[in-house]
Amino acid sequence: MSRENKAGISRSYLESADIVIVGNGIAGLTAAVEARRFSPDARIVIITDQCHPTINTPALKQFATGKLLREQLLAYPAGTEREQRIHVIQAHVEAINAREKYLCLDGGRGFGYGSLLIATGSKPNGLPASMPGRDFDGVLTLHRLPDYLDLRRRIGEIGQAVVIGGGVHAIETVMGLLSWGITVHWLVRSETVMPRVLDQPASSLVLEHIQRSGVKIYLETEVVGVVGRVGAVAGVITNHNQMIPCQLVLVCTGTRPNAALAQRCTEPMLCKNGILVDDYLRTSVRDIYAAGDVAALKDPQTGNYEPRAQWYSAVLEARIAAAAMTGHEAEASSFGVPWHATHLGELSMLTVGNPLRWSDEITPLTDSSKGSYRLMALAGDRLVGYLSLGSKQPDSLAIKRIIDEGLPVTAIKKALLKGTFDARAYFSQRRSEAAHHLVTTGKLPDLPPLVATGKLVTCVLAQTGPLPSAPIPMPAQRQQQPAASVQPMQPYRPAARGDHLPETGPLCTPAATAPVPVSAPNYVAPLTIVESEEISSFTGNLPVVAKPGSSTNAAIAARQPQKQFQKPPTASSSKGRSPQKLLPASAKLPAINVNNKGKRPLRNLWSYSQHLPAISNHGNSSGRRKSNSGIGSKLSPCKPEWEVAKEAGLRCFPQEEAYHQSRKSQL
Amino acid sequence: MRDTVLLHKTGPQIAQELQACIGCNECLLACPALAEPIRIDVLNRETFSGPISAPVARYARACYQCGACVAPCPVGLHRDAMMMWLKVRLLRSGQGE
Repeated sequence: MSRENKAGISRSYLESADIVIVGNGIAGLTAAVEARRFSPDARIVIITDQCHPTINTPALKQFATGKLLREQLLAYPAGTEREQRIHVIQAHVEAINAREKYLCLDGGRGFGYGSLLIATGSKPNGLPASMPGRDFDGVLTLHRLPDYLDLRRRIGEIGQAVVIGGGVHAIETVMGLLSWGITVHWLVRSETVMPRVLDQPASSLVLEHIQRSGVKIYLETEVVGVVGRVGAVAGVITNHNQMIPCQLVLVCTGTRPNAALAQRCTEPMLCKNGILVDDYLRTSVRDIYAAGDVAALKDPQTGNYEPRAQWYSAVLEARIAAAAMTGHEAEASSFGVPWHATHLGELSMLTVGNPLRWSDEITPLTDSSKGSYRLMALAGDRLVGYLSLGSKQPDSLAIKRIIDEGLPVTAIKKALLKGTFDARAYFSQRRSEAAHHLVTTGKLPDLPPLVATGKLVTCVLAQTGPLPSAPIPMPAQRQQQPAASVQPMQPYRPAARGDHLPETGPLCTPAATAPVPVSAPNYVAPLTIVESEEISSFTGNLPVVAKPGSSTNAAIAARQPQKQFQKPPTASSSKGRSPQKLLPASAKLPAINVNNKGKRPLRNLWSYSQHLPAISNHGNSSGRRKSNSGIGSKLSPCKPEWEVAKEAGLRCFPQEEAYHQSRKSQL
Repeated sequence: MRDTVLLHKTGPQIAQELQACIGCNECLLACPALAEPIRIDVLNRETFSGPISAPVARYARACYQCGACVAPCPVGLHRDAMMMWLKVRLLRSGQGE
């Protein structure tokens, strides 16, 4: 390895790190923080050419209009990098040598990596390079913090502004400018706005609302040139030979993935409108991952690879990538279907999945009452796409969950369509029903949707080996499930992800989307939260078992009670398992250590509750509230967890111990 | 079962909402109970894990669940449910009394 390469860099003398992340946007830093959690000893380095820490980029519009201070933009508390021992290097990455696993930085430096995450984000399209006057002072392409700082500096002295672009970004900018009392001219190239997301009626509704708020809208209008006076903007000329005077031109014409590194990699990296990645965010080159705006994920519904330039998907992708890079693929969650929610002035817009017709089997349902608009795309009794425009934002993540998990929506179809869907009541009722069924019958609930919350296997990219490989073949379909379990007419249905499961092709193929049996051994629970304690909303009690992500997690147990049933948390069944998994809730240290000396024991965690939290359910047969694990332990009696923990030499809180002793004496 | 109504969001749901938070501060701007400046990144982090700082603890105690924070959220999140979660953490730590 000490031989010299073309660049004159010797591999053995290179500085290197186990995990190297290019870019410190939200995807980069989230991945670094997550990787630190998975791998406490790994050397983690972020290489970035950005001159400021990670910020909430969606909040830049609020920042530009003066609602936020600069300090409030920070996405993570200041000092997170230092606290998490994440080394940040200010440099520009020129190229990747994937064969010898190092990066070429500017200044002729090299940097070796074990795993590399490309999180370089996106760059704005801007105005065409040939447009006259595009460099005048006052023409701003809004994308990064410096652009918004510039806007904020100018915004107080602007009378008229032109906004170019027909997307969400443009609408949000327009509405921000309006709040400053600026006359806004909005130029849209096409006849409708957001043609890929909104259909004709939805687009009309949005335009109507924006027009009513005082914006001058110019549809089917393009800028052909910018007019200036002494280097500053004086107006724009449109393709209808109209001159619009203004002091500011804001360009919001979309972004494209900043995938230049893919072209400058020694191995061929699949890249088409973003770097193609599989479910674990792996690119087609070994040990290289991509996340955030730069990554093109396969849409589980349509099968197309598309980047998702949204905040939440960047966070999710970073978490999955970090899990994959540190060898914890099993703990990675799924990114599911696309999801986008925002405010367009007075209107709240939500799109989940693909609401526009993308398959012949989709039935669209629309409702346009009371000045709002909703579009549901249904495949059988499953929801595959949802679009909502109205004064009230629905519980957007709950609808995403319904689509991701493939829950039947027959019962809630009307509420969804009318925009009156109460997600809290719905999910609460589902949990109650599942628990009631389990307790009264003692049988496992036959509720496939409750357990079909596993991950979507959408794609697995073939990766290069250490040596240059042949062109990457796309994955072939494999035989997956018995035909009996296949339900046709449901083009999109999630399946649990496990190592044994083959990848699927486009999800319109029924054979690729069979539900996973309840007893699937490699079932992976979705969205497990590991970093914090679990509080069961199922019973309202404080957590019983504090190790989320394990089979004893209270929230997961509510959804897959059979696990609890098969594996009660007894001492005998814990052989070979980490004793950490058997900790009672309190044994996992709470955030604040409180000196309880001289204080009465913490009894009332709920102001109206007369009972102590259900730390143990041993012998709990008097009809009191039961925790989730209480159900399991009732069916299969076991030692109380605090005793198990005590035997394992683990810490119990004094007040809990006293409580258990008193309970014991009562019994 | 009555407590289910009170907490009304599970841990994974709260974590999901915290991850989806874009940090625009609209919820805090709308909040009638917020008496001192609190940064949303700090609030988000302390809502779910780690130690709870004194300003955030005071804010959690002051929150009376009026729900004014829900409507302004551009991405449809439920700060009231997150605050309830924070209140529970606070009570659990003994600071809520």
